[in-house]
Amino acid sequence: MAKFLEYLHDHANIVKYVFFIFLIGTVVFDFFAERHEAHFWGDHIFGFWTIFGIFGCLGMIVICKGIAHAWLMKDENFYDK
Amino acid sequence: MINNGIMLHPASWFILGAILLPLFAKVRLQKILLLGIPIIAMFQINHLPNLFGVCDYLGFHLIFGKVDSLTYVFLHVFTLMALIGCIYGLHVKETGQHIASFLYVAGSLGVTLAGDYLTLFIFWELMALASTFLVWYRKRTKSIEAGFRYLLVHITGGLILLAGIFLKYMDIHDLSFTRIAVEGATIADYLIMVGFMLNAAVPPIHAWLPDAYPEATVTGAVFMCAFTTKTAVYVLARAFPGFEALAILGAIMTLYGVAYAVIENDARRILAYHIVSQVGYMVCGVGIGTTMSINGACAHAYAHIIYKALLFMGAGAVLEMTGKSKLNELGGLYKYLPYSMIFTIIGGISISGFPFTSGFISKSMIVAAAGEHHRPILMLMLLLASVGTFLSVGIKLPYFIWFGKDATIQPKEAPYNMQIAMFIAAFMCFFLGVYPEYLYKMLPYPVTYHPYTSYHFSETIQLLGFTGFGFFLMVKKLTPEPKLNLDLDWFYRKGALVFMWFARKPVSIVNDWVNEVYKTVGLRLTMVLAMGLSWFDKEGIDFVIDGSAKSVVNTGNQIRTLQSGKIQQYIGAALILMFLVILTVVYF
Repeated sequence: MAKFLEYLHDHANIVKYVFFIFLIGTVVFDFFAERHEAHFWGDHIFGFWTIFGIFGCLGMIVICKGIAHAWLMKDENFYDK
Repeated sequence: MINNGIMLHPASWFILGAILLPLFAKVRLQKILLLGIPIIAMFQINHLPNLFGVCDYLGFHLIFGKVDSLTYVFLHVFTLMALIGCIYGLHVKETGQHIASFLYVAGSLGVTLAGDYLTLFIFWELMALASTFLVWYRKRTKSIEAGFRYLLVHITGGLILLAGIFLKYMDIHDLSFTRIAVEGATIADYLIMVGFMLNAAVPPIHAWLPDAYPEATVTGAVFMCAFTTKTAVYVLARAFPGFEALAILGAIMTLYGVAYAVIENDARRILAYHIVSQVGYMVCGVGIGTTMSINGACAHAYAHIIYKALLFMGAGAVLEMTGKSKLNELGGLYKYLPYSMIFTIIGGISISGFPFTSGFISKSMIVAAAGEHHRPILMLMLLLASVGTFLSVGIKLPYFIWFGKDATIQPKEAPYNMQIAMFIAAFMCFFLGVYPEYLYKMLPYPVTYHPYTSYHFSETIQLLGFTGFGFFLMVKKLTPEPKLNLDLDWFYRKGALVFMWFARKPVSIVNDWVNEVYKTVGLRLTMVLAMGLSWFDKEGIDFVIDGSAKSVVNTGNQIRTLQSGKIQQYIGAALILMFLVILTVVYF
């Protein structure tokens, strides 16, 4: 088990390309998915969840880290002082 | 008094187990109890009558056991979780920890089966008390402090609940624990709801959870992550389905927890914030209040208990073997703890809702229910939270523990019992994912929902895939930092300082002044009185009850030495006290 993980760790490029192919696959798959139960307008747009996922993720990192650095983050002994 | 056998109640078994544990530990057989009791309970819940343990006491109609379709799914997962938790903690030698977790499980089962508010309240408080010991047993100063805060917050919540129960009794003289209609809800009902919400960790009264859970013992946290919040979800689902406040707060909760998880450094605190987030889905489902959303809340509670426990077990295994849980101190452990890693990642993909895992078939039910109820904003909030979930637990947590920079520590793999427990939980994650009917059959209402549609599949892999891509782009920015993040516990942690100042300065001045008056006037009077009483005590009472005063003094001294941290004796004392209370109740 550890050897296999070691192999993947040393060949990170392979993992990367497999991942990118998977990503393209997800978008392609969306063109073939049946949408019979649309809950709102976004369900009609192809690749909507791709956009939602990527921007949601980036937005969350930027906003959360931003607020944390500006305000919430304190020294670990903040409450002991 | 109780018209069916007392051992019919699964909680009785856990209480009996807690009482017997010290005896069994003396002859080194405590493992038999640790495995036996949960297994007995698992069988027993299938053979419960619809109503049992009914008794009248002081004019109150107490119902210890009321079983219906909503109860069963929770009983099922609670007993299963008790078994997994006990296996995980088999190697722990401290009997007190096991006693605390048994009583904690008993409290949770008692709440689930309670048919009236008084019974519910008793078990509710048992849960709070027992779980506090699971924090204290870590025995670090930080844990002791966190345990006290945890206990104080829960006592406050308990009092709010009790106030609601009192008002309710004054209003309608009926304490049966049933559904409350949205239109007829009174202030009493809302107080009860707040008491429940505190245990469900609904913001702004959630801060106790990420404060206390990461400070609990390794096995304690595994138990705690399963029971308190999910019991709260159960009581909310029973009493308050369809309350709009719950739907909105639930959706906010999902994002609130996730946002903190993105910035946190401590692995178990990240997971604790994810409890807030995941319980948000359930609270939201309860708040939407359709049959589908209630089903979803129950299904998600079931799935969540298993995968969250799995995650806590994985992070706990790392903590147990390395003594560290902060991400900035960990990294590169894939060579040393590979199995723990696989299990944790299975927990991570389940919580994110990957296809073929339990999250996929449970979480989506609530999301779909929000969609079908024409609440697109709630639905988008829930989906955004699942993006954050995958980002922080699915990728960030495993990446920085097992990969990332090498932390140059070389721990051994976790003990076998821990791995077995993790294996069972990991198996359940996949089992529920590929065979959802097993779970759907247990749900309170018939299920018409099908998780495996091509569109749902497509939606999920896009969301998760591109979240992974986002992580890939921003991995540098996510590097964990050894910092503390302010949360709403600031109010009482800093507020306590104000209170302490008030106690030291103004109160102390008044106190000194009263002291002076007392010294000059009262003291002489008291001295004379005390001398008389002391004489009477020595000559009169001790003459009758020979030497009892001496033994009281001895006990006092012993209690003083107890405070050095022998918590098992505290629990023992608490147990004896409880036993006495029960005896008194039964016989008088």
